[in-house]
Amino acid sequence: MNQNRDFYAGLVATVFFAVILFVLIPIYVKVPSFIPGFAPPPDMWPRVVAVIGLVMGVLALVLAFPKMREASRDRVEGFGTRILGNKTHLMRFAGILIVFVAFVYGMPLIGFVPATVLLLGVLFIMTGNFERKFWMIGLAVIFPVLLYLLFTEVTHTPFPKGKLLSANISHLTTLI
Amino acid sequence: MWNELLYAFQEVATLPNFLAMFAGIWGGVIIGAIPGMTGTMAVTLALPFTFYLSPVTSILLLVALYKGSTYGGSISAILIKTPGTASAACTVLDGYPLARAGKGGKALNMALISSCIGDFISNISLFFLAIPLATFALRVGPPEFFMLMAFSLTIVASISGRSLVLGIISACLGLLLATVGEDMYGSFRFALSEDMKSGLGMVPVLIGLFALPELIKMIVFRPEDNAAAMKLGDNRLTLAEFRGSIKSICRGSIIGVILGAIPGIGPSTAAFFSYSEARRTSKNGDKFGEGELEGIAASESANNGACGATMIPLLALGVPGDVITGVMLGAFMIHGLTPGPLLFQNNLGDVYALFIGILFSSVFLFVAGKATAGAFTKISRIPQTLLLPCILILCVYGIYSIGASPFDVTVLLVMGVVGFAMMLLNIPAAPFLIAFILGPMFEDNMRRSLAISRGDLGVFFQSWISWGFFALTVLFVILTIRREWKKWRDNRDATNASAS
Repeated sequence: MNQNRDFYAGLVATVFFAVILFVLIPIYVKVPSFIPGFAPPPDMWPRVVAVIGLVMGVLALVLAFPKMREASRDRVEGFGTRILGNKTHLMRFAGILIVFVAFVYGMPLIGFVPATVLLLGVLFIMTGNFERKFWMIGLAVIFPVLLYLLFTEVTHTPFPKGKLLSANISHLTTLI
Repeated sequence: MWNELLYAFQEVATLPNFLAMFAGIWGGVIIGAIPGMTGTMAVTLALPFTFYLSPVTSILLLVALYKGSTYGGSISAILIKTPGTASAACTVLDGYPLARAGKGGKALNMALISSCIGDFISNISLFFLAIPLATFALRVGPPEFFMLMAFSLTIVASISGRSLVLGIISACLGLLLATVGEDMYGSFRFALSEDMKSGLGMVPVLIGLFALPELIKMIVFRPEDNAAAMKLGDNRLTLAEFRGSIKSICRGSIIGVILGAIPGIGPSTAAFFSYSEARRTSKNGDKFGEGELEGIAASESANNGACGATMIPLLALGVPGDVITGVMLGAFMIHGLTPGPLLFQNNLGDVYALFIGILFSSVFLFVAGKATAGAFTKISRIPQTLLLPCILILCVYGIYSIGASPFDVTVLLVMGVVGFAMMLLNIPAAPFLIAFILGPMFEDNMRRSLAISRGDLGVFFQSWISWGFFALTVLFVILTIRREWKKWRDNRDATNASAS
């Protein structure tokens, strides 16, 4: 039997909504001892939605079986099968996840502007197209700086300066 | 009355007023086009400047900013698949496919014309129907809201694409994520971290879900045409195309006016409601979501139609319908004016001047939109390998600037990955979007109604408005079940025939 996209979607949905219903709601949706009036408790709506999602996930699984029996004739190759069947794609996807995680954790340390400059540079490299190298280098530096100036001047957004940089500057100031 | 109108016209037709409207519309269009920067932000930023302006000029500036930003949201929605504002989220569904097909200019023109018509109808209704509409709006309580939201949520069935089951799964995910944070009685739900106690912001979730998956897809699969720019085809909107959408534009404008007049609903819901109605009734309904101009016309006429109408409860009753009109209420107060029935008695001249000025702003919107559309269309010429990473950085800055919160940026990136996973599994993103926006209103009004009625379900059937929406919901559910049953039977027959 060939596993098609609906099978994976049903499987993921079933597991996801089951975890929500049986694990997360009991732990993370607290029902207060007193609710004003006769209002339904806070866990009622998430439970209803999770049950519907779980039922739909199972239904997607059940409906996927007849299609899977039809061997390769009805097989529809989607991104799911493409990405799982190709190690390079998986590596690239893992690479994006690593870059995003590094940005989220690194930004408070090195500061918003350097972090976005690095993020943009790395993303340009990851696109794998180097026909416009000079544009890429220029944009990676100038674009985040321009945005920084725009947002600090117009909306007065306080962007993080970076703990490492602040620590070094304060250290230097103390030394002077 | 005519003397007062003439006097009001003289009061409006001054250089400072025209300059304020012109600046407001232009500023609004540009701010709305930047992902993460919203109309609320634009109006709030402009509020301090109103101290130095006359009352009418101040309000005209703020209204122009609001209208400009609502239209501006459609520019980034169409060209870079990033809704500049939440009310433009629906425009992405048809706008971006059109832009990819080299019809970005056509889509922008349709968005502009529908926005202007919606805006104009909204202004006319503000002029003539402010008091009756405001009185009607006050009759809409939590039970009626609940029924309206229930009906709006049935659109999930028509925007699910290939599989209704996957569409409902997507909607359930949207409804669940919308429950994260503090509920109406102060209980925390799914607060896995301290930041999650305040919930997930609408803008980071929507932008993450739509804008980022394209970038991730490009990096993972590196399609051969990723270095190429989008094609630029014929960008003119033909009369036939306009005629084909005129019904949706008029209906969208009326929906915008009615929903905009109800406090708490706003342009986003109006856009979705209008889109769903256009899809249900259009002969091209099947093509919605694949690049149908009528889809853009429906959503854009409704969201701009709601802009002027949000002023109705503010001016007629003194009730601000949303955050923007709340800020405008502040601007009125600063100048010693108190919106409400007394405003029409004590400051009728100012009210007429405001109405006339708002009518003028529709013309300014058209001029500014036309002038900027050409420049913005050039974005389509930038190769995807340069454009998409820059969009991510633009989104990161825009999202951070909303609340100066790194958590919002994290939500943006996580939702990008979730959106990519949904793309891989062929789970449609549109039902998620509508459920995430309407879900909180649906739940809050249901719980509020039950609290008022002490648990009696009869509260949902006490007015003709509730009954009307209930009947429409039931009718649509029956039609959907019938359609799905027929589809399943046809598939089964086709399978049996090919097997034999």
